[in-house]
Parts: sequence; C-alpha cells; structure tokens
Amino acid sequence: MLGVASDPGDGASVSGAGALVPFLPEARGPVVYPLHHGLKPPIARVAISWARGNSLRVSFFRRASGDGSDGDEVGGKVLEVRLNNGDGDISDAQLRRVAYGSVSPFAVLQSRRNSVASLSKISSPYHVEWWEYVMDYSKDINSLLGNPKSLPSPAIEDPQAVLQKVEEPTCLKAAWELMEVFYADKLSQAWLPERLVDWLTDYDSLLSSTQATIHLKVVDFQKELVTLQVIEDNTKYWEVISSALAVGWLDVVVKMLRLHGSYLLDQIGNRETENGLVEAVAVLISKMPRMRPALESGKLGECYKAKPDFIKAWEKWRAQITKLESSAFWVHCDHHRTREGLRNMLQIMLGNINSLCTATCHWIELYISHFLYIRPFTVGLESMYSLAKKCMQLKPMTSSHTLIGLVIGILGDNTEVVLAECSRSFGPWMVAHALELLTAGSDEAETLLQEERYNLGGISIEELHRLVYAQVLSLDALTWQLAPIYLTSCMKQGMGLLEILLSKQPVQHTQILLKIIEICRIYELDSISSNIMKIAGVYHWKHGRKGSGVFWLQQARDEVRLNRIALQLFDSVGQSISDESFKQWEGLIELLGSDSKTAGGLEFLRKYRDFKKSLKQVNDGKTTDVAQQAVESLISLMKNPSTPQRFWLPLLYDSLKLLSWQERPLLNVSQTNLLLNKVQELSMARLRPDFIEAELPPQALGGVRLALATNLGRAILEEK
Amino acid sequence: MAITGGAFPERPQIHRLPQPHYIDAVRWLPQLSAFDRFAVLALSSPSPPQIYSLDPQTLTLAPQSSWAPPSRVSSLRTSRTQTHQPLIAAGTVSGSLHVIFANAVDASMESELSVPEKDLHAGPVSCVDVMDGAAECVSVGEDGRVNLVSVSGSRLGVRRVFDSEGLVSYTAAKWASPTEFVTGGYGFGLQWWDQRRPGGAVSQFKANWAQGTTSGIVHSIDIHPSRKHTCLAGGSLGTVFAWDIRWQQQPIILSGIGTGATHSACESEVWEVQYDRYSKSTNIGNISSSRILPAMICSEDGILAVVEQDEEPIELLAEPCAINSFDIDRENPSEVICSLEWESVVILTRP
Repeated sequence: MLGVASDPGDGASVSGAGALVPFLPEARGPVVYPLHHGLKPPIARVAISWARGNSLRVSFFRRASGDGSDGDEVGGKVLEVRLNNGDGDISDAQLRRVAYGSVSPFAVLQSRRNSVASLSKISSPYHVEWWEYVMDYSKDINSLLGNPKSLPSPAIEDPQAVLQKVEEPTCLKAAWELMEVFYADKLSQAWLPERLVDWLTDYDSLLSSTQATIHLKVVDFQKELVTLQVIEDNTKYWEVISSALAVGWLDVVVKMLRLHGSYLLDQIGNRETENGLVEAVAVLISKMPRMRPALESGKLGECYKAKPDFIKAWEKWRAQITKLESSAFWVHCDHHRTREGLRNMLQIMLGNINSLCTATCHWIELYISHFLYIRPFTVGLESMYSLAKKCMQLKPMTSSHTLIGLVIGILGDNTEVVLAECSRSFGPWMVAHALELLTAGSDEAETLLQEERYNLGGISIEELHRLVYAQVLSLDALTWQLAPIYLTSCMKQGMGLLEILLSKQPVQHTQILLKIIEICRIYELDSISSNIMKIAGVYHWKHGRKGSGVFWLQQARDEVRLNRIALQLFDSVGQSISDESFKQWEGLIELLGSDSKTAGGLEFLRKYRDFKKSLKQVNDGKTTDVAQQAVESLISLMKNPSTPQRFWLPLLYDSLKLLSWQERPLLNVSQTNLLLNKVQELSMARLRPDFIEAELPPQALGGVRLALATNLGRAILEEK
Repeated sequence: MAITGGAFPERPQIHRLPQPHYIDAVRWLPQLSAFDRFAVLALSSPSPPQIYSLDPQTLTLAPQSSWAPPSRVSSLRTSRTQTHQPLIAAGTVSGSLHVIFANAVDASMESELSVPEKDLHAGPVSCVDVMDGAAECVSVGEDGRVNLVSVSGSRLGVRRVFDSEGLVSYTAAKWASPTEFVTGGYGFGLQWWDQRRPGGAVSQFKANWAQGTTSGIVHSIDIHPSRKHTCLAGGSLGTVFAWDIRWQQQPIILSGIGTGATHSACESEVWEVQYDRYSKSTNIGNISSSRILPAMICSEDGILAVVEQDEEPIELLAEPCAINSFDIDRENPSEVICSLEWESVVILTRP
C-alpha cells in the first residue's frame, strides 16, 4: 500500500478543512532524556562528551567533602545516554520488544529443524517443505517489526487525499521483507517482479532520506494541491501522474486523474472529448493485467495466475493502448497539457524507455517500471541482476542508502555481501535471524554458512553470528535471559559460553538467583547450578544472613563448606544458646531439617537444642523419666562424631546433675565408660598447643570425672 | 499438565500492553468509583524507578501520577484506610519503606510517609503487607527482622517485633487478623506470630516433605478473611500448600513437583499466590471449611493458573517468559492484572 508517513512538522501550514496530508495531532517537541544518577546533592560539576556512536557520556561529580562525614558515599558517576534521532530510528525499548518477540519463532524453528533432521531418514507422505517452516518464522518476525497498515482510516474520506495515512515504515522491516521475498517465499518466485513492485510501493518513502523519489514528489504535490485552481494546467500534476504510473501506483494515478478539471459538472459539457480521453486512460490503467494471484483491496489491475492467460491479456491490453494512441479524438482535444500528459502516459504503458527514464527518480524505480511495462516475465537472479545493472547505468543514484547495498547484494546472489550489509546496517539481531532466511535460500548458501571454518576456531559463520548476538543480549540486564535460547542452538561453543554466562550473573538478589537456577534446571546444568548456589551461600553467610547461607549450601550439598561454617557457628552457639535466645536459633534449627546428610556438621545444633530442651525440663520438673531422656540425648551427642571436642566438657559439666541423680544412676556401665573415655581423650587433648579451653571453672574436669566415677560405681552395683 | 479453560466455557479476554520499562510489581488500586480504574506499576531500569498510576479504562495504560522511590521497589501492596482513602505501601531494595496516600477521586498521589533505610532493615525489604482498613504494615527482610510500621498522625511509628540477627531470613508476610500475622521463608518454613504473645513466633511450620534438594523458599502467602486459621503459601518447585494451624504439621498440598501432589500447575518458582475470589457457581459458604478455596498463582515458567484441591489446574495464561506478579481486583474479581518479565503488562477480563 502506498502511503505518506504522518508528518507532524507541517501541521500548522495546512490546518483546517483543507487538510490533505494527514498529520499527527501533537507537534514533536524537544526530546527529554531523564537521567538517574542516584547521587546525593550537591553536584559540583557535570561534564558531557561523545561516546561511541550517537551516545553521550555524562559525568557527574560530587563536591569532595573535607570532613569525610558521608563515608561510603561515592564521589561521582558516569552515565551513557543513547540519543535517538527520532525519525526512522528504533528506540532501545522497541529493539528489546523485537528481541523478546523473536525468541519464540526462533526456538520453534530450531525445534522443527531438529525434528525434521531426525525424521529425514523416514520418508513421510505428509512431508512439509522446509521453506514453509521458514516462511512461518519469517512472517512471525515480520509482524514484530511494525505494521504500517495499522493506522485507522478516517471516518470521512478526504476526496483530495491522494496518499493514505500510514505509520512510518522502518528500514529494518523493509530489509526483512526483501529477504523474505527472495529467500523464504518459494511460492512467490513465479511472480517475483510484482512482489518487488509491492515492496517499492511500501518502502520508496525510506529512500527519500538520501535522494529524490517519486514518493517525495507525490507528497510535495499533495501539499500544493490545495492551492491549485486549475489542476490540469500545472505541469507538476502531469509529471507526478506519469511518475506514479511508471512505478505502478495505479490507485494513486486513477485518483489523481479523476481530479481533472473536465470532470467538474459545469465544464463537462464543453470538454466532452477531453473528458472521454481522460476516462479512457483511467479505465485502461485500472484494467492493466497483472501476473499475480491476487491484489489487496483498493489496488487496481486484473490478476492472472497462469502465464498463457496473462500473455493473452497483456497483448490485448497493449493493442487497446495502441488503438487509443492512434485514435482521431486527440485532434479534438483542445487542452494542450492534457493531450500531452495523457499521450506520455500511454507511452509509459507501452514501455517507452525514454518516458520511463524521465518519469523515474532513481534506478530502482526505473527497474520496477521495467518489470511493469517492458519485461514482465523476467525470471532468474542472473537476468534480474543484468537488468539492474542496465538500470543503474541509465539512472545512477546520487547517494547510497543502506537498503540499496542490500538489494545489490541479493540480486548479485552474493551471500557474503548480503550478510555484511545486514551486519553493517542493522546489527547483530538482524544477522542472527536473517541467517535462517539465507540458509533456506539455496544449497550453496547453506553450505557456505554452515560449514565449519578453521579460521573461526572450528565454528560456522552461522554459529559465529548467533554467538555474537547472544553476547549482545547478555550485556543487558533486561535481555540476558534470552541469550540461552541462542547459545543452545550453537553446537560447538554454545554450551560452554552458556555456562560462563550463568556463572557470571550476580547472585545478590534472591529473585535473580532463582531465575538463574531455573535456567540451569531447564538445560540440565546441575554442576553450574550447584556452583552458583555455593557462591550465593557464601555471599549470604558473609553478609550475616546465616540462615540463607546455610540454606543455599544445603541445596548445593556442599558438606565441606557446611562443616566449615558449622565451626564458626558453634563459636556463637557456646555463648548465646542460653534459654532466652532459644527462639532465635529455633528457626535455623528448623531449617536444617532432620536429614543429617544435608545438614553436615550442623546436625550437632539440632541434637544440642534437643538436649538443652530436656535439660531445662529436668531443672524445672525433676522427674526421672525426663532426666532419662536427657541422658539419652547426652549419649547420642557424645557418640556423634560431628560434636566438636570443645563442647564435650561444657556438655558434661551442664549434666552434672544427671550424672549424680539421687534416685538411681541414670547411666549404665557402658554409657559411663563411654563418657569416661571421652574425658580421658579430653585430658590428652589438653596437652596439645591448639586446644581451646572452655570458659568453665578450673575444677570442672575434676568434678565431672568424680561424678562419672561415682556413677560407675553405682551403676555396677545396680546391674548386679 | 494443566488443562485449558476447563471450567470457563469462554476464554478470558487478554489485553497485552507492552511497556518501555521492566516492571517490578503491579497492583490494582482499590476502586474509587464505578468508572475509573487505576493500577499501580513499580517500574525499574532503564528508567529511574517510579510508581505510576495508570488508567486502564480505555485499556491503553496512561501515566496518571508518579512518585520516585530512592531505589527499586521490592514489594508493593495497596489497600485503603478507614476513611476509604487508597493507600500504597512499597518496600525497596535499599531497605526503606514508603506509605503513599492517594486522592480518593483522581488517584493522584497526595502525601508520602517513609522510614529511611537502615532504620528498618539491613538490606532489602523482602515483603510488606498492609492490614485491611488500617494503616498498619508488617515488613520482613532477609536480615531476619520483623517490623510493624504504623501511621500515627503524620509520622510512621516503627516497632521491631523480632530480630533473628540473620539466623532466619523472611521472604513473605501476610496479616491474618488485627493481632496476628504469618511470615514465610527458607525451607518452606512458615511462622505464625501473635502481637499479644511477644518474644517470637507462636507457632512454626516446616515442610517435612522436603528431603534432600527438594526444599525451597516461600515467595508469597495469602489468608482468606473467612478462613483465618488457614494460611496459603506458594514457593519454589511449583509448590502451593496450605497450612491449617489447627492440624499443626500436616500441610495440604495443592500443587508442586516432588511433593506428592496429584496435579501440578507449574514446575518452577511460584512468585505470587492469592485466593481467587472469582467463581461463578460455587458459594464460599457451601464449601466445607476443611477444603481449601481456589487460588490463583503465577510462575517463573510463565503460567497464570487457578489451582484447586484435588482438581486439575485451570490455565489462564501461558507465556514464553516469567509472570512476576499479578493482582486480582478486589471489587471486581473477574479482572486480573499481571506483569511479565519481558517488559509488559497483561490485563485479563474473565467472562
């Protein structure tokens, strides 16, 4: 669909009832970039300089305070601001939206590739051609790049609005569509010239940025239209009409022809012949045979699917034009400009090369006019390329445009050039995704892009560009989660880089940490996941969040670190696990759970708590049953190898009451012997230089030994 | 796997609203009138963090008013005061807490009270919850502190209920009654607190199905006003369970892998859980009090679903990216707003 981009700049000049060019209601104001530097005022200095590309580097400096009162406050900050030049350029947020949206189509295509590869040995009757999958993918991606046909049409159609209101198209979309036409859409190969006509209709406006185009001509004329009294006296009117005709904007041409003064009711009487000629041309134009399956509504021409039918219609149509050309009515047409203008149009339709050259502004427009009026059957890249070269000579471009390089690369069948142009003009996103179209294009391109190369470290061009794109994604905190999709599609180095990417993510925030672990789970990277949990565990531990630290180390099953931190934890336990602060420890002990394997050396804490609890009950109530329970806890603690040696004496000292229980001895002979052995071991250990003495009265050990000895005697008597 | 739309003959209407910002949290603002609808979005990078009030009446979210917190918002709640003024409570990653009062007519933000960082938590605020009809908040953090913050005049009064000094970290909180609240944390642990019995949690629950590495973290808690004894929690590994304090250590599992649940709505982190007050046929009064009411969950693997005890989950939304938070409109429970990882908001209107 041909359209004029909404142009807010000219709103004031053509306002009111005569508005011909649709425009956006609000004028484009100055662009404001809010910066969040997060520094406390006062800011002493701001420096601005250029950074890479169209980015500004803004540096904020705080005034250095002499007294050092604000301690850890940073002295300044440097921010990069990316400037968008407003028109045509795509904002970061939009680019991210495209990046998000392209993940699913890409992933679907990769999984289809895998299933096709596994099925290729079995010949299936329901075989779907690969390009059909690529076409689905291409359509999904294309829809992300904006839909220029989405603006609602006004309720009352302006009869003088020649062009329809559309959203500004982007070069990215134009490039994608071009590649789709040439590489993915095998159905359209038969009517490729008409696809190119449509493409130029949609995107000629983009070329206006660097040179004169027919689109620009039409837009300019539309602005003048309101001031013209007798439209057919204006040379520009005929110029614009023939230009629009040359590139096949038939609906625009017919609409403009019907603005001709001879249609006015007060003039139709004395300009009957003239009006007849204008209408005859308009009818001929709207009946133009087109070699294509269908046309959009509102577009003119008659469609033919089969070549013989088309040739027949084409010959008939040309015969009608020739007949009109040699008609006697021209003599009776008094209006000179009309006569000349219409005859020039007939020449264009008959494919007069001089008329076409005059009517078009640059070689692509001339090229398109060739397809329409001279060589509608051009097939094969080779003949298309030689025709393009001829047009370039006839109508060279004044300056280069990003899209033109791509067009030449595609027509020249040069995959490397196409890839280079995509990379240069549209960046890593385009290359990574367009590769799917290129490999679908031809077997040669597929081999070229997928063969492993020694100079790339054994990877293919395809993999290289996916890795580059994944790298770009992983640099942004908002998009790094997309990178795994692309990395896992890389056979050689993808998984290695994915492991690095995941290992390098910050683990401070639990939510992000969990997102990383989830990605590890999806790709079955258990060792990475457990490493990350270890890092998180140590991080939380070091920042005083002991519970979280223990949890993550438990999840990672890191017994070594759990045992090590257990020793540190016991230091604070010795002092603080009094009856009052039990509540604080309760939660941590609950967290440790009953599974001794995941608790490591910390299992001691749980047993110690149980022992302390029953000891407290003994002190409160003094029933023998409770005391017996406390003794069981004590024995299990002393038996357990994870009980640190330095706790032995305090434990025994705390249980003196149990050891010398009045009613009956609570420990049997073997239990007492066990404890006595521990006391002996302890006495030996005290001689070692690294022994840590418990904070107990000096006679504690003696007291315990005496109590044990007494108990042993009583127990022996009891058992007899 | 979840069946799609089993109980709803008509699919909900889904409106996707891409935003140019990452959305940390999203809430409906209590409805002011029948015509105006407002939602609060806590936005973050690359823009400075802001809370926007947006009007989804036309389903084109337009900024209504904004307020810039000192750092990213880590927890967001909305409620209303006794005088029916809408109230927004936000905890930040730097540890500050902010209470914002909105205008009852046009939802513009009128006044803000805050507790500065370090006074409340060392490190981020994990969760805040506002008591219904009273401007009283409970805030918990990974630093192991449990605070009550109440509005007194034009100031915020802070009272520390408990400080585990990092031995236990709390990740979720929810009021059960004017004196009781529940917190959740690591190891699928839940703690029941009663202000009348200070000094620590009154009751503790730890998932004892958690063996080996199947343990996880509670991310969100909800308590139904008519079932104050039952606490609903959602967390890691798609786990959704209910803890009835009358049957101390016996959880009722609604969903989750590795929990022995018959159905599982999702396999990854359940970021948020809320009782789903929207149901067409069943009346809450008819459901036996031992049966858990239907609940809505959102998850890291992009699922928004309604889970019910011993029934197939009903999937409302399956996205290719995480659904980080959602909110069911209290006055009009057919409307759900949720925020996606990929910088967009989705509004669901159920038939």
